Amino acid sequence: MLRIFHNTRYDFIKWWKVAAIATAAFIAIGLASFAWTGGLNKSIEFTGGTQVQLAFRQAPDAGAIRDALQKGGLPGAEVQRFGAATDFVVRAQDEAAVAQQGAGGSAVADKVRQALDGAFGRDAYTVTGTAAVSARVGDELTRNAIIAMALGSLAILAYLAFRFEWRFGVAAVVATFHDILVTMAFIKLMHLEVSLTVVAAILTLLGYSMNDTIIIFDRVRENLKGAAGRTSLRDVLNKSINDTLPRSIMTHATTLAASLALLLFAGEVIRPFAWVMVFGIFVATFSSIYVAGPILLWIELKFPRTAAAAPRTAPAGTPARAAR
Amino acid sequence: MNSLRSRLLLIGAALAASVFALFPRSAVERVKRGDDFVLDTVRRVPLKYGLDLSGGMHLALEIDESKGAVADKKEALDRALKTVRNRIDQFGVAEPVVQRVGDDRIIVELPGIDDQQRAQDVVQQSAFLQFQITDESNALDRALPRLDAAIRARRLDVASAAGPGATAQPAAKAASPLGNLLTADTTRKADSAAAKGDSGKAAVAATDSAPKADANGPFTKLVQKGQIPGQYLVKETDVPTLQRWLGDTALTALLPPGKVVRFGADTLSAGPGQVYRYLYVLDARPIITGEYLTDARPNNNPLEGGYVVEFELNAEGGRRFRSETGKHIRDNMAVVLDDRVITAPTINSAIGRNGQITLGGGGLQQAQDLALVLKAGALPVPLKVAEIRSIGASLGQDSIGKGIVAFVIAIGLVVAIMVGYYRFSGMLAVASLTLYLVFTLACLAAFGATLTLPGLAGLVLGVGIAVDANVLIFERIREELDQARSVRLAIDEGFKHAMSAIVDTSVATILSGAVLYQYGTGPVRGFAVTLVVGVACSLFTAIFVTRTLYLLWLDRTGGTKPLSI
Repeated sequence: MLRIFHNTRYDFIKWWKVAAIATAAFIAIGLASFAWTGGLNKSIEFTGGTQVQLAFRQAPDAGAIRDALQKGGLPGAEVQRFGAATDFVVRAQDEAAVAQQGAGGSAVADKVRQALDGAFGRDAYTVTGTAAVSARVGDELTRNAIIAMALGSLAILAYLAFRFEWRFGVAAVVATFHDILVTMAFIKLMHLEVSLTVVAAILTLLGYSMNDTIIIFDRVRENLKGAAGRTSLRDVLNKSINDTLPRSIMTHATTLAASLALLLFAGEVIRPFAWVMVFGIFVATFSSIYVAGPILLWIELKFPRTAAAAPRTAPAGTPARAAR
Repeated sequence: MNSLRSRLLLIGAALAASVFALFPRSAVERVKRGDDFVLDTVRRVPLKYGLDLSGGMHLALEIDESKGAVADKKEALDRALKTVRNRIDQFGVAEPVVQRVGDDRIIVELPGIDDQQRAQDVVQQSAFLQFQITDESNALDRALPRLDAAIRARRLDVASAAGPGATAQPAAKAASPLGNLLTADTTRKADSAAAKGDSGKAAVAATDSAPKADANGPFTKLVQKGQIPGQYLVKETDVPTLQRWLGDTALTALLPPGKVVRFGADTLSAGPGQVYRYLYVLDARPIITGEYLTDARPNNNPLEGGYVVEFELNAEGGRRFRSETGKHIRDNMAVVLDDRVITAPTINSAIGRNGQITLGGGGLQQAQDLALVLKAGALPVPLKVAEIRSIGASLGQDSIGKGIVAFVIAIGLVVAIMVGYYRFSGMLAVASLTLYLVFTLACLAAFGATLTLPGLAGLVLGVGIAVDANVLIFERIREELDQARSVRLAIDEGFKHAMSAIVDTSVATILSGAVLYQYGTGPVRGFAVTLVVGVACSLFTAIFVTRTLYLLWLDRTGGTKPLSI
């Protein structure tokens, strides 16, 4: 029997302070970056605007495309390489461009084509895809994405409160909020474009992280029954994390393998999704141990379950005490 | 034993059903052959690809209220929906989607469409057909001085000087080559394009209180007389300027009463850089509109080559058309589609129920499309495009190809990890993983779900996550074996203890998938469906199939051999 991390007794909770500082620092850097360079890089699905995907016959100079678009009356358009050297994507999502779309969805896309026809010739490229979204549709999608995240979290909170105790639900949801913050910081720092697909990835990540938390809590629930007040919650938590460690490592390994395959081989369109998932696997591991765990301990200290089950004196080094 | 047999039977039945659901079957659908769509029988795996994989076009249409508010939007949209559906049905697309979303939007999905502009035209064209007599009274010429004055007074021409102003000088000069080009057929008209400025206007200016119209008036200098009454020529570069002026309410009031000004649909070229467009002055009252039209079909033009669209009116329309055209013999009748003049032939004799529209340029396809929109009827309200997504078929193919590569690599890695670590039990997990894939795809096919690129990503990701349940079970069995339990008992207990965690995580994932489905659109919905279906299938394969495989193994070995896990 090949075994890794079998019967370990790591004191995971001991490092909670270091972990808290690390994650707080990461979020702070992310927030600072928000303040410094503005909000997230949102896709046209949310801002409204036009996106044109182009495949050139010969690799052109991105600057030449930019010049052509500027002359064609689209000074706000962004030009970006998209995978191969011949593939480019043009995004016109500044206010002027969105306003131009009031007349008709294809107005800006036609302009892009005209500008490129003039600069490169009609046969030098093909349009492989276009997307144009009006500002109104964009607003609606933004609202729906936020509702989806809020409702998703609520539904899971309700389910955990029903299946476990309310305290587990709260700890899991706090961990979820942490995940959202950290992921936003990651997306910001990586300059990923937030599209609908990335929102889907964030929701998957939240679900995945929740899975991890649930599996550890499931162990805690079971170990608490066995312990019956003899050991502190902190020890039970540590034991549960160690008990589930082989499972965590194996599942993260297979999921990471699948995500890396997506990241490296599935092409440019799905890459932001894959990045969020790869990052999510680490976030899930981290938050289920170092966010959900300490929060559960803190709730336990503030609201002991029952007089009998609660530890009479909080053991040295309990997070809540150290925090005081 | 009995229970093992029924378990195997159930798995066999599920597998058979899945294979049946995925079996390539014949379907009658429209396929593209050459340039035409024909109904044909094809054999294919019944999995629906989303637009991002098959290539195609997604349109969201909204009522365009920029030209006047619409009182009953919902009712208008319902009628528009019917018209759009009619048109799309005749347009020839395999499995189109035309549906209303909310109270104010129509969604149109056209898989496999590569000619974006054409599809958009067919959907969006109002197709409001009118027949109007061209102006015989030189009404615009008389209005030109006051138009010039108004434009000068309001300095509208100065505002435009930055842009098309540069064309002012060349436009005046351009009159001569164009004049030569046209005089051949316009000799019967007193004013040739070149002579317009002086002869035509001098007399008019005398009767008009407005300042004398000179050829350099801001409006005057942009228009030149054409070949037939009420027809003018405008340089294509000046068209936006004129359109802006004609849209100005103060200027519209100065236009001749009872007349309307319309541009031609096509341009004509008089040499390099000399592109012109016709401008028509028409009687505002149409002699007939497209509402009387019962049929339209494209045909060859036997006389001049090219194509015509033949149409047929109903009895009442025919009567009206005959009497109106009878009154206007030798006059020119403009065929106006969506406020653009397609053609303006001379009426030679009274026309009854059957008529035809001669197309200036354009091929059979244009004739077909025009016949199609005319027949399907006019849109009751103008529609504007709120959202377009079009994906070239090659990009979709590329996505599928890359998705499959990623998929195969992901599976390879997962299989290597599982078999490498859990050995024999790992192989059981791989077997149930295979079934998981078959079941998931079969469910997607059976529900008629659409496979999108994010959905494909969900499937790849699902392969990684699906083994989680197996991992949970295997780790539990190992723990039980550590407690020196017998193999049979360890397997039983392992499954029992892993169950609660598996169920809780699955339900949590299904909950978030359901929320995604409710609030997502298009590709994201595809992802949500794959996620939920995948979790449900992985629940079944991990809990039921893996268990059965263990039972089968125990049955074969009698529970005496040590378990390789």
